[in-house]
Amino acid sequence: MANNTKTLSKKEEMAKAARMNTLRMLLPIIGLVAILILFNVLTNGGMWNSRSLILSQVYVLMISSMGVFFIMTMGGLDFSQGSIMGIASIVVCYLSQYNIILAIFGGMAAGALIGAFNGFFYVNRKIKSFIVTICSMFLFRGFIKYLTSESPIAASMKVYDYDTTAVKMTCTVIILVIGFIVFRYTKFGMHLKAIGAGEKAAMFAGIRTDRMKFLIYVLAGAITGFAAFINIVKNGSATANVGNQLETQILIALVLGGMPISGGAKVRFMNVVVGSLLYVVLKNGLTMMGLTPQAMQLIQGIIFLIFVAVFADRQSLKVIK
Amino acid sequence: MSEVRLQVQNLSKSFGITRAVRDVSFNINKGEVHALIGENGSGKSTLTNMLCGIHTIDSGKFILDGKEVHPKNQVEANNEGISIIVQELGTLDGLTVAENIFLGHEDMFVKNGIKNTNAMNRKANELLQQYGFERIKAQNQIDDYNFEDRKLVEIVKATYFHPKIVVIDETTTALSQEGREELYKHMNRIREEGNTVIFISHDLPEILDKSDTITVLRDGVYIDTVKSADMTEDDLKKLMVGREVTGAYYRADYGTPISDEVVLSVKNVTVPGLIEDVSFDLHQGEILGFGGLSESGMHEIGKAVFGASYDRQGTVTLANGTQINDIPTAIKNSIAYTSKDRDNESIVINQSIGDNIVLPSLGELSNKFGLLSDKKLKTFADKFAAQMSVKMQNVGQFVSDLSGGNKQKVVLARWIGKDSNIVVLDSPTRGIDIKVKQDIYQLMDHMRQNGKSIIMISEELMELIGMCDRIIIMKDGKLNGELLRSEEMDENLLISKMV
Repeated sequence: MANNTKTLSKKEEMAKAARMNTLRMLLPIIGLVAILILFNVLTNGGMWNSRSLILSQVYVLMISSMGVFFIMTMGGLDFSQGSIMGIASIVVCYLSQYNIILAIFGGMAAGALIGAFNGFFYVNRKIKSFIVTICSMFLFRGFIKYLTSESPIAASMKVYDYDTTAVKMTCTVIILVIGFIVFRYTKFGMHLKAIGAGEKAAMFAGIRTDRMKFLIYVLAGAITGFAAFINIVKNGSATANVGNQLETQILIALVLGGMPISGGAKVRFMNVVVGSLLYVVLKNGLTMMGLTPQAMQLIQGIIFLIFVAVFADRQSLKVIK
Repeated sequence: MSEVRLQVQNLSKSFGITRAVRDVSFNINKGEVHALIGENGSGKSTLTNMLCGIHTIDSGKFILDGKEVHPKNQVEANNEGISIIVQELGTLDGLTVAENIFLGHEDMFVKNGIKNTNAMNRKANELLQQYGFERIKAQNQIDDYNFEDRKLVEIVKATYFHPKIVVIDETTTALSQEGREELYKHMNRIREEGNTVIFISHDLPEILDKSDTITVLRDGVYIDTVKSADMTEDDLKKLMVGREVTGAYYRADYGTPISDEVVLSVKNVTVPGLIEDVSFDLHQGEILGFGGLSESGMHEIGKAVFGASYDRQGTVTLANGTQINDIPTAIKNSIAYTSKDRDNESIVINQSIGDNIVLPSLGELSNKFGLLSDKKLKTFADKFAAQMSVKMQNVGQFVSDLSGGNKQKVVLARWIGKDSNIVVLDSPTRGIDIKVKQDIYQLMDHMRQNGKSIIMISEELMELIGMCDRIIIMKDGKLNGELLRSEEMDENLLISKMV
């Protein structure tokens, strides 16, 4: 008898856990559809009419979110993305005077270098990732302010040739598809998740965890460096505020997309796509409703807190590195 | 009929979905040594931990001398007259002996907010003398004393205030014969004072010899309370397992020659602070055992062979001359390792069974473009989970839900999937019930017969004696003797080399 009740309650527990998981997975999609409908009704279809404007804000966020998605999967954080975007944008602007291809690779190299800087202090000096990246956020923001103190840095006029939805969309889709395949169907993705789910055990299963952690920061930097090119294509120049608060936007986007903040086995690549869309739609919707930027920050804070509270896997929260 | 001291009533406790203690009720009398026995995971320690305020109670109650007690921490438990001596080190580094003894009860020596250290030391020295531990000085740092002496300090700490109940949780396994005698003496004294000892041990002869009454738990359920005098070891085993333990447990062969072929050679390996100048050879098809006290450095041997030691000196060389200096090289060269710290080092705890099994084999499972297919991964995981008969719903289930024995099976499934030739097993049956233990012993015997070489590191002497071709005993980080497999070998011979 006692045995019976045990198996029953165990089954119930598992069914409950499974339901919770499904809910967590579906909630962001339901949320996206719901706010799309809501804002379109509230603005009398105004949002649908300005869809291309809204979409143009998605590319940069979505691409750079993918790098941070990899970092967060293995249990790290990155607050330096905004500064990476800034430095890489400046590099792209300079190099675009010579050659567009050179500008793209230059931006990626600049991002990768800052990523390597983060990775070095995180892996070799064993400093927590959020501390390292907060330091580099300030450090490189300082460089950006210094470089742009006289005037914004303008890119070559040639970059405007690429400011079409077709180019930006194609670039974004290609990057995402590569990211998805690598994450979902290669050793790389499995190793990344294993590090997030239990780093020490991952090491004992033969994964070179330190090398992997370092490379992921370099990779995330390079990806954001590429996003910087799209950013310059859209804006044409780099100001002192270029990339400002991108890190927060990425973090909110990923969490809105249902990403568990401690990473690990439960992350889905979908988190990147749905999260970025959700963030941009939400932001534009609120702007169209006539909210002031101040009020928007407040609302973003509240939404972020609610989502973290819902999605946080409290058992593994302590493993954020 | 003796008087009842403690009534345990309908006690239950769950950890997540594991129901560690289920509706347990029994009585413990005054003036007795009451043993609690059961296999690992049967709920003994959970029960006593609730009594001592280490875990909270889910439901049910403890009634001590007619009054319900509900301690929230160990100090409150002490005030109710309950104390505990645990298996691990229960003293705190960086404090003096006296500070350790009176931890949580410093108020006795505090006047106007100022602690009178002299009075505390004086009192502690008095106690140490009463107990016959004069060689330990109250004012010294506890760090100055070895494991044994620190355990003696814990005995003083747990009993000086004449508690009504003293819980002794698997303390004797960590002690030498001398230390044990010391502990038995004090158990007797407590009983003669009319107080109660709750005694937890795995050592059945010791239980039969030292206790008056025995309560048996199985899977968190109360089975029976019996008089020690009426019982034999086999009776107890039957109660613990719930059936007769039949069939081969350990391997049965004796006198099997050890192959001359050396598969792995360890030369002058030193890991600072843990092992010193260790050299040995591992032969094909042999089970080489390492025994010793937990701190003897034997656990580091496994890590050193697997390339996982930090700052290792010396060499680990395979028959073909390959040097093993890091984990990926070890795995590539067909070495497998299961850690004593299963949840942190062996298994990726927040991941599915399937992902855990395929993890080291992903390279081989990728196609020529480096891509993995879900179907192939699942087939692989299913195959080896089934081969190890892991109890689960499917391979998608997370390992954090599994019992210790099943987790170990997942770890072994991973290495069998990798078809490793050299298998290093550190405490492979730690916290695992008899049924799974038997499975693991059979698997080891099977692997040995197929020419695989096994290093088995264990704190359980019986399994070393039962399974190994050779046993190397370690002491203070060094090799301290080697014994060959024989029917006559007994635990005392090994213990004499360990301490």
